[in-house]
Amino acid sequence: MELTIVHLYPDCMSLYGEYANVAVLCRHLEQLGVTVQVRTPGLDDEPDFAGAGFVYMGAGTERGQKWALTALLPHAQTLKELLSQGVPALFTGNAMELLGTCVTDQAGKAWPCLALADYATAETDRRVPEDVIAHTALWEEPVVGFMNKCSHTTGVTSPLFDRLTLGEGNEREKGPEGYVSGNLFATHLTGPVLVKNPAFLRLMIQRIFQYNGWTLPETLPSLPHEEEAYQVTLRELSARAGG
Amino acid sequence: MRMMLSILLCKLLRLAGKLLGRGSSLPGQFALKVCPDVLGRVKLPRHIIAVTGSNGKTSTVEMIAAILTAAGRQVVYNKEGSNQIEGVATLILSNCTLGGTMRGDVLLLESDERYARHTFRWFHPTHFVITNLYRDQLTRNGHPQWVYESILPAIHPEETLVLNADDPLVACFARDHDPEKVKWFGLEECPVSTREHHGVYHDGLRCPVCGGKMEYACYHYAHIGHYRCTVCGHSRPRPDFAVTDLDLVRGRLTINGGAQLELAFRSIYNVYNILAAWSVCALCGVEEQVMAGVINNYLLKNGRMVTFTLGGHKGTLLTSKHENSVAYDTNLAYIQGLGQPCEVMVIVDAISRKYFTGETSWLWDIDFDRLACEHVRRVWLCGRYVNDLALRFDYTQVPQDKLVLQPDIQAAAQALKEEGDLPLYVVTCFSDRDKLLDLTQRD
Repeated sequence: MELTIVHLYPDCMSLYGEYANVAVLCRHLEQLGVTVQVRTPGLDDEPDFAGAGFVYMGAGTERGQKWALTALLPHAQTLKELLSQGVPALFTGNAMELLGTCVTDQAGKAWPCLALADYATAETDRRVPEDVIAHTALWEEPVVGFMNKCSHTTGVTSPLFDRLTLGEGNEREKGPEGYVSGNLFATHLTGPVLVKNPAFLRLMIQRIFQYNGWTLPETLPSLPHEEEAYQVTLRELSARAGG
Repeated sequence: MRMMLSILLCKLLRLAGKLLGRGSSLPGQFALKVCPDVLGRVKLPRHIIAVTGSNGKTSTVEMIAAILTAAGRQVVYNKEGSNQIEGVATLILSNCTLGGTMRGDVLLLESDERYARHTFRWFHPTHFVITNLYRDQLTRNGHPQWVYESILPAIHPEETLVLNADDPLVACFARDHDPEKVKWFGLEECPVSTREHHGVYHDGLRCPVCGGKMEYACYHYAHIGHYRCTVCGHSRPRPDFAVTDLDLVRGRLTINGGAQLELAFRSIYNVYNILAAWSVCALCGVEEQVMAGVINNYLLKNGRMVTFTLGGHKGTLLTSKHENSVAYDTNLAYIQGLGQPCEVMVIVDAISRKYFTGETSWLWDIDFDRLACEHVRRVWLCGRYVNDLALRFDYTQVPQDKLVLQPDIQAAAQALKEEGDLPLYVVTCFSDRDKLLDLTQRD
C-alpha cells in the first residue's frame, strides 16, 4: 500500500502548526502498513498532482491566501478532476475559502477562486480567534479546536458541522460550519485539527482506505496521548461553553 | 474644566486603588469618560518614547528607564505594564498638575501592539521603537501580519521610528515614512548566526511586501537575520546602531565597533533588547559612557529569569510566554547551548492568566528538538496539558525514556526535591510559573 500526499503551499499556508496534520496522518498510515510519500509544493513550484491520494492545504494570512490562490488557479482544472474522482482532501482555515467561487477582501476587491463549491466569502475588519466545539453527523465525538478568521462564508449548502456549541460558524456564531462534499472536507478550524481530534483523523484514514480499495482493520490503532489530550481539551472547552 | 475634573478624578481613584491594591486601568477609564480627549489636551514632556512589538517590550522599557534615569532625566513610565489606553491615561494624568502639565522629562510607554492606534489617537510618541513581530498569542492577535496592520494607523509622520532592521516585517513600517525619521538597529553576522534556518516553521520564507521568495545571508534566530527578497528587493537596511561583535559564550558584545558590554543574561533576546534601548537613548542624547555604565552586566528586575533551590537542584526559571514559540525556542536554545548535564521541566497548565483558551496548536510551532541533546538528562512534562505536551514530544528526537509525565506540578516538585542534584531549567509562562516557584526556595 502506497500513498502520495500533496501538501499545498506550506511556505505560505502554515499559520499555526498545520504541518502536524500531515505528520499525524503519515504516522497512523505507516502504522497501518502504508508507505507514504509527501510532496510539499511551494508558491514557486508547479504542484505535481499525479498519483495523489490525499490533498491538504492549511491556513494562511489573508495576503498569503491570495498568493496561494494566484499560484493554484492555473491548476484548478487538474485539482477539480482529481477531487471529482473522489481523492480525499482536507482544506483548513482560510484555505477552505479558496474552494468557493470568490473571496472579497477588506478593500472590496473580488478574487475569483477555484469554484469547486458554490459558496463565497467576504473578509471583514473583525478578527475571530476563538476556541471551537463543533458537531457533525459523520462521527459521534464533538470536534475541538480553534479558528482564526476574519470572514463570513455564505452559500454553503452542505456544512461539515451542523452546529457549534463554541465558536463562529460560516455565517454566524454557533451556526453551521465548514463544507463537505463526498471526500472533500473543509473547515475554518486552524492548526493541527487532526492531531486534536482522533475521530476526525480516523475518518480521513477510512476515506483514504476506501478510495484505494484497501481493507481497513476493524479497529484503528490509537497512538499514545491522543485520546487523553482530546478529552482534556473537550472537558476544558465544554466547561467554558457551559455544557 | 472637564480636563481638570478628569485629572482630579484620576488622581483620586489612583490613590484609592493603591490603598485597596487594585489595578491601574480603572482611574484612566473613568477619566476618559469625563473628558475623552484629555490626552490631547495635557502638556506632555519633550520626549515621548513608546515601545511595542511581540517580545521584549517590558525588558526594553526597563532598560531605557534605567539609562535615562542615570543620565539625570526624570522618567515617567508604566512599570506595571498597563499598556492599553486606559492604563496609559492613568499614568499620564496621575503625573499631571491640575492645570494639565505632566511632570518629568520623558514619558516612556510600553504599548500593546494591537491597541497602539487607540493609545496614540490623541498624542504621538517622539520615538516609536518596534522590537519584532512574530507569532504571539494568536488567540488574541490573529497573526503577525494582522498585528502589523493594527500598528500602522498608530504611526505618525512626525515621529522617529526606531526599527529592528533584522525583522523583514518590522522593516515594512519604514516604507511610507520619511527616511530621515527612521533609525535602524540590528545585529551583524556573528558566531551565533547560521547559514541555515533553525526552527519548526519559517515565517521569513516569503517576502512580506510582495510574496516573493526570500534569501537570507544569515539567520540570528527564527526569521530574524539578513534577508533579501529575490523579486522586489525588500532587504535588511544598514543599521544605524549595530552589534558588531557578539560572543554569547563569554557574554560580551560590541556596539558600533566601540562600546563593549558584558551580558548578565546570555540570550540573543537580551542582545536585541539592549540594542533597542541603546538606540533610542542615543537618539535622546544620552552619552555612550552613561549607557554603557548602566547596561554593562545589567540584571533585569522584571523577573523573567528567576533562580531558586529545589532539594539538591539549583533551579533557573526561564519565563517563556505560552502561545509564543519564538520565546520558547530562544530559551530552549539557551538550554541546548549550556553543554552541562541538567534536567528540564516544561509546564503547561493554564495557557493564559488573562483570558481563557484551550488552544494548544502553538506547541507544534516550538522546536522541542533542541532538547534532544546528551546533556539534557531528563525532561519533565507537567500541568493540565501534559498529554498535549507528550504528544508533541512523540514527534521529536527526544528519547522517550528521558520523559517524565506528571500532570500534578506539586508531585513533580516533590519528586525532584527528593532526588537528584543536577541543575534544573524550568520553561513556562507567567500563568504557571508561581505554581512551581511557590514550592521552591527562592534565591
